[in-house]
Amino acid sequence: MEMKHDMQHEHNVHVKNDEQDHSSMEDEEIKDWKMKLIGSLIFAIPILIFMVLDRIFGITLFNEEIVILSLLILGFPIVFIFGFSTIKSGFRGLFSFYFNMDSLIALGTIIAYLTGIFALFGKVADYSGISAMIMAIFIIGKYIEAKARGRATQEIKKLLELGAKNARILRGKEELEIQIEEIKIGDIMIVKPGEKIPTDGIVVRGESSVDESMITGESMPVEKKAKNNVIGATINQDGILYVKAIKIGKDTFLSHIIKLVEEAQGTKVPIQKLADKITSVFVPAILVLAVLSFIGWLIISGDLSRSIGVAVAVLVIACPCSLGLAVPIALTVGSGIGAKSGILIRRGEAIQTMKEVKIIVFDKTGTITKGKPEVTDIYSKVKENYLLEVASSLENLSEHPIARAIVKKANESGIKKFKEVKKFSILRGRGIEGSIGKNKIIIGNSGLMHLNKISLKGFEQNINKLESEGKTLMIAAENGKVLGLMAVADALKEDSINAISELNKQGYRTVMLTGDNKRTAEAIAKEVGIKEVIANVLPEDKAKKVEELQKRAMVAFVGDGINDAPALKQSNVGIAIGTGTDIAIEAGDLVLANGSLTSVLHSINLSKKTFRKIKQNLFWAFAYNVIAIPVAVLGLLHPIIAEAAMALSSITVVTNANLLRKAKI
Amino acid sequence: MKKVIMEIQGMHCASCASNVEKSLSKTQGVKNARVNMIAKKGYADIEDSVSEEDLRKAVRRAGYNIAKINYE
Repeated sequence: MEMKHDMQHEHNVHVKNDEQDHSSMEDEEIKDWKMKLIGSLIFAIPILIFMVLDRIFGITLFNEEIVILSLLILGFPIVFIFGFSTIKSGFRGLFSFYFNMDSLIALGTIIAYLTGIFALFGKVADYSGISAMIMAIFIIGKYIEAKARGRATQEIKKLLELGAKNARILRGKEELEIQIEEIKIGDIMIVKPGEKIPTDGIVVRGESSVDESMITGESMPVEKKAKNNVIGATINQDGILYVKAIKIGKDTFLSHIIKLVEEAQGTKVPIQKLADKITSVFVPAILVLAVLSFIGWLIISGDLSRSIGVAVAVLVIACPCSLGLAVPIALTVGSGIGAKSGILIRRGEAIQTMKEVKIIVFDKTGTITKGKPEVTDIYSKVKENYLLEVASSLENLSEHPIARAIVKKANESGIKKFKEVKKFSILRGRGIEGSIGKNKIIIGNSGLMHLNKISLKGFEQNINKLESEGKTLMIAAENGKVLGLMAVADALKEDSINAISELNKQGYRTVMLTGDNKRTAEAIAKEVGIKEVIANVLPEDKAKKVEELQKRAMVAFVGDGINDAPALKQSNVGIAIGTGTDIAIEAGDLVLANGSLTSVLHSINLSKKTFRKIKQNLFWAFAYNVIAIPVAVLGLLHPIIAEAAMALSSITVVTNANLLRKAKI
Repeated sequence: MKKVIMEIQGMHCASCASNVEKSLSKTQGVKNARVNMIAKKGYADIEDSVSEEDLRKAVRRAGYNIAKINYE
């Protein structure tokens, strides 16, 4: 036991370090570029003045040798000190054949710088000032890009900082203030109004409302009382809660979300395949092109200086970064925005597929409806309490929401003790059976009664009436005779009607898939605005029905991740919904921490908007390279302009992705 | 087969990520290598025969360093 605690403790510390590393690594990078930037500017400004005066206005302050020498001296720290890491990484890439972006910049600047030295002795134009300017602009560009990239990950950083730092726990009768890492499973935490719930747990005492918006995106506070689960990092609002810790460290819901989002941001979107392929051969291709341009220009013009200038321009204008960043940066921003409102994009592929989806299939129970049914009507041949006692004794052994409703009703009617049930079994999608004493009990839908040849005579009218109201019927039979029936109804979620009407308006075909009977299903569908209903589907057949629909068009399936996992997997885009901690994260392509259908709508809109950004970014990146490289080869671009254009292209891609935040989801 | 998550230092451009991916993929027993340049993390499925040193070597070969390795 002692050791287990120690291990858990260690684990926690570990997780914390991870989180610190993440943001500090990024801040470090920005700080690093900033220092190089300031250093370079100190030397770049006099170079710029020199160059403008001398090369553009032709004002000669000193003789040529002195100008060149000054440029070489002023340029040296920029290229070789502040640009050292770039030069080093670039040449390392060249020699190891793992070419990178730096290889191009390193080669471009070194060649340009060397011309200055040659110019002192021979008849080559001096590009040393240009060399320094290229490196300075490269550094400025990198700094701006690193900052913009930092912004792109701001949402995940916020998630990382969301966790509570301290906890107040009860040890014996003593209240102790401890660090979050010191919490052990089973500790009772005291959470006062306005405080963060330190870690995932279950309420043992107290009543309060809890703001879960930071995790689920659900803005309404959620009422919590004993036996309710609470999520770490959510905020207790008005009462004192005593919460038993059940998950700590990397097992918490928040940690899961963070891991999921980070991992998803690294997944590939199919559309980026081409860009990735180009990125991987881009640098060597540009090296070859630069050599060819140099040779070509030398042959055609015979002007060595001009040829060097063109080659340098080609080297520095090519930008694998904009291509390589186009997709991941947009995905990062999109998934970050989603995470903030409880929408988790698990696979990048899903957002591309979402664009093709034409049919959206909804599970009924727990998706369109609240999934917490209540017993609304009872028709009994025997005493009502006898029916409830028999029914609840069996239903108490089932986890099904309808079973829970019946047990709840029995409790409310004063039945506190259940009878012993033997030979209990669940008939999936149909009902349950078991024995109480010598009596064989079957509870389920009318199909199950037919199957067991149990006559429903005398109940037909009631059955028809209740079913036409969209209620689910549970018929209880004892030894082949009907005892009575209980109607269970499940209310719509508040926003289901709005969300579905919006999806209909957007042109999606909405379909409802349910194990319920046709009449119940149709009543709900009509209320919520869904035109197509597929009813009487056994849980194991849901995936098959989705497959049939896929013959017509791409299908997105919306359901809870626990019962609907196969259908979620079968569909082109699986949207798994849940409430709070009750989500099966592994099941969907998109996972929604709050179960409202508005979130489903938002997740679909977010996917489409993110994908549009991805396409824009790819377009700009491709267009930039396709236009800029030939222009440089033709000798129409001054190397400094080329470098500035290059820096701008990758900044544009990152900034454009950040603009996704402005989009209305 | 197990999943490995690596924190990689020194990557600052898209071709860097592509290089690390390439180098990891070339390592025997490493599958499904993918690198997220923005989060500076690399993910891969590895066989039990692949050691931590193998992974470090692969990343170093492309010119970068592994700051931390987590297994799952």
